[in-house]
Amino acid sequence: MTDDREATSDETLCRRIAARDDTAFDVLVTRYQARAYRLAWSLLRDAEDARDASQEAFIRVWAAAERFRGDARFSTWFYRILVNVCLDHKRRGRWWTRLIARDSDRDSDESLVERQPAIGPDPGDHATEAQTMTRLWKAVHQLSAQQRAAVILYAQEHLSTAEIADVLNVAEPTVRVHLHRAVAALRKELAP
Amino acid sequence: MTAERRDDLTDAERDLLARAVAASAPPPEPRWGEYRAELRARLETRRSIGRRLGRWWARPAPIALSLGLATALLLFTLHPVERRPDLAALDEAMLGARLDLLEHYHVVERLDLLENFEVIRRLDDVVSREG
Repeated sequence: MTDDREATSDETLCRRIAARDDTAFDVLVTRYQARAYRLAWSLLRDAEDARDASQEAFIRVWAAAERFRGDARFSTWFYRILVNVCLDHKRRGRWWTRLIARDSDRDSDESLVERQPAIGPDPGDHATEAQTMTRLWKAVHQLSAQQRAAVILYAQEHLSTAEIADVLNVAEPTVRVHLHRAVAALRKELAP
Repeated sequence: MTAERRDDLTDAERDLLARAVAASAPPPEPRWGEYRAELRARLETRRSIGRRLGRWWARPAPIALSLGLATALLLFTLHPVERRPDLAALDEAMLGARLDLLEHYHVVERLDLLENFEVIRRLDDVVSREG
């Protein structure tokens, strides 16, 4: 049996949130929490930061719900808020991140990629594939924050280039340039 | 590929991007119950701050205080308080105004003769007495 509340569209929920309906807020959070957290984690690469940024995005939705005009999809509007929170988070955290990185670089010569958890089991048969994946991850990590956001929204969240342009507040050709540059960077990384 | 997904990328390039994104380790999954409870607590904190601020602004005293401060600031900007005159500058100004006396220095330097003015005035008497 389908629950009426579950069948409610995001846009309707957002209008109810604007009228300060806490139940609607809970439904929307439950619906988007996993996607929000995954996207934030992909951009920030830190569980605590991702948790903080995704929660902050929900709070901003609650605060700004009445400004949602409904001329775009709710998901696009929400992703825009979330990506902005993540990019702000990165900018704010940059100075102390550099300090910590400098200290930890003294302790270890290991690269950032090598310090990340292993990507699943790495038996001998799959060693080459795992190495390739590590190199791909490294290449994605080295993209600019906006390029990485474009790639993740495209390949992970399956947004169109027009929607990504809307989320990142850039022109659609800029998104295409981001994607082409990302492809070029990945190819360069994979080149023998 | 959907009609709206115009991106000029080939299938191989799209596949490469998908592999790159999938290459990262899956994010550590939070406990969603805790996550939502934490979010509710944060939201409640914001709401209470908003309510407190709202109540503060709604009181007559803060409104009067704010209006008073704003008015004082405005008045100070438009009519700055006059400073006490600088005495040294005043002295200089007065001396400057009297510089034209220098033009009559030849008179001034002979003023000491006037000390004997009384003698001069009575000179006739002296002469007649002596005469």
